[in-house]
Amino acid sequence: MDEPRRRRPFWYLLRRPDAVRTEVDAELRVHLEMRIDELRARGLSRGDARREAIRQFGDLDATREYCWRQDRAKENRMRRTLMIEDLAQDLRICVRGVLRAPVTAVVIVLTVGLGIGATTAVFSAVDAALLRPLPYKDPDRLVRIFTDAPPNRFPFSVADYLALTAEQTQFEQVAAYTSRGMTFTDGASADRVRGREVAGDYFGLLGITPAQGRLLNANDGLPGSARVVVVSEDFWQRRLAGRGDAIGRAVRLDGESYTLAGVLPRGAGPLEQGQDFFVPAQWKPPTRKGPFFITVLARLRAGADRAAAIEELHGINKRLFPIWRASYQDDRATWGLLDLKAHVVGDVRITAGLALAAVGLVWLVACANASNLLVARVASRRRELAVRAALGASRGRVVRLLLAESALLASSAALIGVGLAFAGIELLHDFGAGYFPRTQEVAFDATAVWLLIALTASSVLLFGLVPAAHGAGGAMDESLRSEGRTSTGSAAVRRVRRLLVATQFAIATPLLVVAALLLVSLNQLGRVDLGFDTRNVVTGVVLLPQSQYSDAGRISAFWDELRRRIAAIPGVAGVAFADGRPPNDVNNFNNFDLEDAPTPPGQSQPITPWVAVTPDYFRVLGLPLVEGRLLDERDAQAPNLLAIVVDRAWARRFYPRASAVGRRIRSGGCTTCPWTTVVGVVGEVKYAGLDKPDDGTVYQPMAPPRMSRDLILRTNGDAGAAMAAARQVIRGMDPNLALANVATIDEMVARALERPRSLSLLIASLAIVALTLSAIGIYGVMAYYVQQHTKEIGIRLALGGSRRRVLRLVVGQGMQVVAMGVGVGVVTALALTRLTSSLLFGVSSSDRATFVAVCAVMLAIALAACIVPAARASGLQPAAVLRSE
Amino acid sequence: MPPPLPLLQGTLDLLVLRALAAGPMHGYGIALLVHGRTDGHLAIEDAALYQALHRLDRRGLVEAEWRPSENNRRARYYSLTPDGRRRLREETANWRRYARAVEAVLQGS
Repeated sequence: MDEPRRRRPFWYLLRRPDAVRTEVDAELRVHLEMRIDELRARGLSRGDARREAIRQFGDLDATREYCWRQDRAKENRMRRTLMIEDLAQDLRICVRGVLRAPVTAVVIVLTVGLGIGATTAVFSAVDAALLRPLPYKDPDRLVRIFTDAPPNRFPFSVADYLALTAEQTQFEQVAAYTSRGMTFTDGASADRVRGREVAGDYFGLLGITPAQGRLLNANDGLPGSARVVVVSEDFWQRRLAGRGDAIGRAVRLDGESYTLAGVLPRGAGPLEQGQDFFVPAQWKPPTRKGPFFITVLARLRAGADRAAAIEELHGINKRLFPIWRASYQDDRATWGLLDLKAHVVGDVRITAGLALAAVGLVWLVACANASNLLVARVASRRRELAVRAALGASRGRVVRLLLAESALLASSAALIGVGLAFAGIELLHDFGAGYFPRTQEVAFDATAVWLLIALTASSVLLFGLVPAAHGAGGAMDESLRSEGRTSTGSAAVRRVRRLLVATQFAIATPLLVVAALLLVSLNQLGRVDLGFDTRNVVTGVVLLPQSQYSDAGRISAFWDELRRRIAAIPGVAGVAFADGRPPNDVNNFNNFDLEDAPTPPGQSQPITPWVAVTPDYFRVLGLPLVEGRLLDERDAQAPNLLAIVVDRAWARRFYPRASAVGRRIRSGGCTTCPWTTVVGVVGEVKYAGLDKPDDGTVYQPMAPPRMSRDLILRTNGDAGAAMAAARQVIRGMDPNLALANVATIDEMVARALERPRSLSLLIASLAIVALTLSAIGIYGVMAYYVQQHTKEIGIRLALGGSRRRVLRLVVGQGMQVVAMGVGVGVVTALALTRLTSSLLFGVSSSDRATFVAVCAVMLAIALAACIVPAARASGLQPAAVLRSE
Repeated sequence: MPPPLPLLQGTLDLLVLRALAAGPMHGYGIALLVHGRTDGHLAIEDAALYQALHRLDRRGLVEAEWRPSENNRRARYYSLTPDGRRRLREETANWRRYARAVEAVLQGS
């Protein structure tokens, strides 16, 4: 107990400023009265005495002023000291109080800190990605233009792009880019680097200025221009040693010499992130409408009407359509535009919302938990507080004391939160790029600081006000008179605490349900059958530079030689080439028309993944031949595409009741090409992603003069060693060639699962924190209940009540609260999980088994938390209890 | 009797502190005491006296408290604080040195 060291004149703080004036006046009046008395005693009349007294006094008004000033100065100084002393005392009492229950304090600080930190970090990411404008010049006028063929949106073709740039009037600028991989050689090694071909004034449109040299402009793309390249800051640092005189030097890419024109600034923008180089695009004049591979960017004129711009796009597309009717028939496809930001950010709204909701809810649960623990502390300290009040501490002072305690805890939590937020933002910088857009722009900036301050202040109010209102409310003297254990506030305390605990469960339930649904999805994804034995299959990409391999015969010879040499490596059981890899690396989708079920005019033709393979491919992967025959060397030699193999899903989709073998199709929208015949059906394989349905795949023979091939090896033993040997072989054949994107199929599957795995682990750990806090909450409430009712339970037991009934009573009390919370939680979850259905795979958002399992787990854990205090209650020795009272 | 002398700067505070050395006293009492001790040789206005009291109070050399007076009026009684007592000792010693020095010069002529 803290004894006030000396009486604190609290009235000093409450006195009105006028008090000083009155006091001085009174003092001077008394003086004058005394003087008048003395003068009258000497025989002066009343009036004379008065006049004489005032005369003798001197300048009365000036003195009064002077005294006021002096007193007020003193008063102000005292008030300041008192305030500081009070604060210091509050703090001392707080620290002592907090240290008296260190576990409570640690739990509160850690969990609220986690909530504050995680919420800040996630909000920073969401703010950077979704809320902030793009870091380009006048970003709200930037749009992406695309081909709109619902439900698909796909890029432009060369024909589209040329028509758009020639005819548009609504845009200030139009530019485009495509992705391109090239092999960078510096004499010592050959590496695959990622970059972009850009057309038009790409950098001018985005308003990017160079860090060094100049950037590309529209003229660089004119036929016959010198080869120039712009590289990223990272590329310049890593590959060009950050040399200041690098501008104007030669950079060897794909065996060609490019002149380094400029270097981009660090972290130029989200579109440039992860790109090593930029070269001018030089596209050949189109001979047909497709292929579609160009991403088009445009800047609207200032004040331009979007509707008018869209109108114009539709008009140009309509005029263009008849020109290419021979190779493209889908007349419902048109052109559309969307904000560039939507294109950059992509479809992360749901993930972002889910993550933000999860961390925010954990923060709320942590605050509810803190509130609950503090209410309990206040309840057990009512006597102390009552003593304080009796000794002269005002009610306001008691509330202030309790709030100060909450503030102390919240500030400690905020410190943890700052650390966590910093760590989280660093983590996002280092590893976030694969999971979330624009993570390079996440920063611990003013927004984050304000959010942190707001969260901390709200924490103080959330977990401080309830206990404070509680500590100050109610009749204080009753607490003093009562025996402390069965204090009068206990019923109200119980009500508040039950409400808090029920809230915790109500929040934790939906979190746990979502986490469980995500984990079930992840499990389902992991169990997806790829359609073949994935063990010991390793792949990589080989790309031939155009300059040295321009002759079809030479290319063909190279691939044959490569296959022969790799097949000779010990441990290699089979080698094949393809232009796509399971489970999610398909490069081509193609449209086609069936001979016996032609697509009616004006409708979109079916589109499926389209993989070019060498004949060995099926054997290397181990795909079963269901019907017909496999592709062979003669199919590859044919000048036209005459034979294809389809998979079982394709056959089922288009010929559910008959054999697909022998059917004929025309692909790519061609109406005059010779028919292509389906010669065989093989087992299905996932190419478009684990979570995508089997829509059918078409295999065509790989034409020999192909610059880029995926190398696919099946090995008998260590796949890594075989791939290393293959790398040696390639280097031996041509030191300028690189083997890129090396991965086993299992690694590719694991990589495909990384995003859903991270998300489900994040949500699951947050849900577990929420569940743990809820369990702590119900345990605390029941322990308190038992403590409050020790006497009652003792009497019950003494009167012959069974221990079983006591156990049931206590557990029943607790589970009632839990059931209420879980019930509300389940209803909320039913409403909310639907929003996350796009993140789920193989499980419905209202999956009954998951809901039941989650409820069961929650109830079981709550039961365990209730049984501990219940067992203590039923184990009480009645005699001991009653004696102690 | 010659006319009362004007007070030297700074001496009033010393006189007030000295008057309070005997015990708590209200303003009027101090005025009477100082007047009596000096036999009216020093001209001390009540105004100046009160200003000195409040100044000393602000500086923490005296403290004030309302108390009933001898003829049952509530009056503001002043008493020395420990700081005030120390200051009284110092100032008294200073004054004595000062007076001796002045006296020595005057006697020497």
